[in-house]
Amino acid sequence: MKKNYTRTKPPEIDRRKFLTSLGWTGVGLSTLIASIGNLLYLKPAIDYGPPTLLRVGKPEDFKEGIKEIFETERVAVIRDKKGFAAISLTCTHLGCTIRTSEMGFECPCHGSQFDNDGFVTGGPAPKTLDWYQVAIAPNGELEIDKSIKITPGTYFKV
Amino acid sequence: MKIKDELINLNQQKQKGWFKQFWSNLYRSIFRYGKIPQDAEGQSYAVFNNLFLHIHPVKVSRHSLKFSYTFGLGIIAAILFLILTFTGVWLMFYYFPSATEAYNRMLDLRSSVDFGFVLRNVHKWAAEAMVVVVILHMARVFFTGGYKPPREFNWMIGVVLLLLTLGLSFTGYLLPWDQLAFWAITVGTSIAGYAPIIGEPLRKFLLGGDTVGQEALIRFYVLHVVILPGLMVIFMAIHFWRIRKDGGLSHPSENEPTKKGNSR
Repeated sequence: MKKNYTRTKPPEIDRRKFLTSLGWTGVGLSTLIASIGNLLYLKPAIDYGPPTLLRVGKPEDFKEGIKEIFETERVAVIRDKKGFAAISLTCTHLGCTIRTSEMGFECPCHGSQFDNDGFVTGGPAPKTLDWYQVAIAPNGELEIDKSIKITPGTYFKV
Repeated sequence: MKIKDELINLNQQKQKGWFKQFWSNLYRSIFRYGKIPQDAEGQSYAVFNNLFLHIHPVKVSRHSLKFSYTFGLGIIAAILFLILTFTGVWLMFYYFPSATEAYNRMLDLRSSVDFGFVLRNVHKWAAEAMVVVVILHMARVFFTGGYKPPREFNWMIGVVLLLLTLGLSFTGYLLPWDQLAFWAITVGTSIAGYAPIIGEPLRKFLLGGDTVGQEALIRFYVLHVVILPGLMVIFMAIHFWRIRKDGGLSHPSENEPTKKGNSR
């Protein structure tokens, strides 16, 4: 008896091809997973920066219409008839510390200008200065939370 | 006959004395070609058997030796990188990447450490010169058509090297930890933050936080002294290797048909 061993149609994927592609898939997946792990490792997990909560003093210490500047914390505390506001002193353009001017605020780096409420009046700054949440701490002091940004123009009433 | 020759040779070696023989063997083990050869073939052999010399081809076109063709800009950039590596490593002996210490260490290098101001200034000026030279080198390659096939891949490697040079320049700028450094990096990373999608994560990755502080300093330090120079060395090796493999420098005769046809 004579057997016919010849195949009429060879399989599209033979063993060698299958194992090779399996190997490469393994290499690709492990590279991908390792890359994600490395990127996650480099992503800052802990904030070693300055604390976001700060107490600035009793509400009655602030005079109406005067901008109280906290330079290292980069916050201006403003008392108005409408209440209290904590405005960020970090320029929305490229992060320089802004200073007070006659019209409100101005940035020494590239000349952005803001009014007393932090709205842009000139220069390259693209958006309004951040307004931080103001609250009263248990000891009666004003407490600013720099991690919570509120709608500009929202004053805190004591 | 061969055995006889070797015996004679051995006999001569014995007469030379062991000390001379030792140095002769040592020299021979390093420089295979013996004394500096005088004939063209021997010189070629000497050149391509030496790690430092083999970067140069045995034969170069007369054209590419003309100074005004390259102005030596590529080799100047490479030498500046060597100078920066040397001075940078020496500065590392005194510098400390700490927000409280860095500025003082920089001042100490300038005022107290012997030759500290020389190393610091050489590092600073070589760094600024390198940015200029690399850009001029790129311009030269462009104007002489060096980016055209078969050198298009090496042009791209060159672009990577330019970006690495700028990256090293940028990360090194923060390390003195003075006002200029602080605000330059504040502004620079803010610019990075404007990039779409990856901008804000990139800024966070560079700074290790929201503002320029200790975390930013250590990250810039590691990038400046390990990661970017390491990448630079790898890409420089590929760059130099490809110059040879792509047929040396570009020259005008390349794209013109010669008597033998296209010279390439």
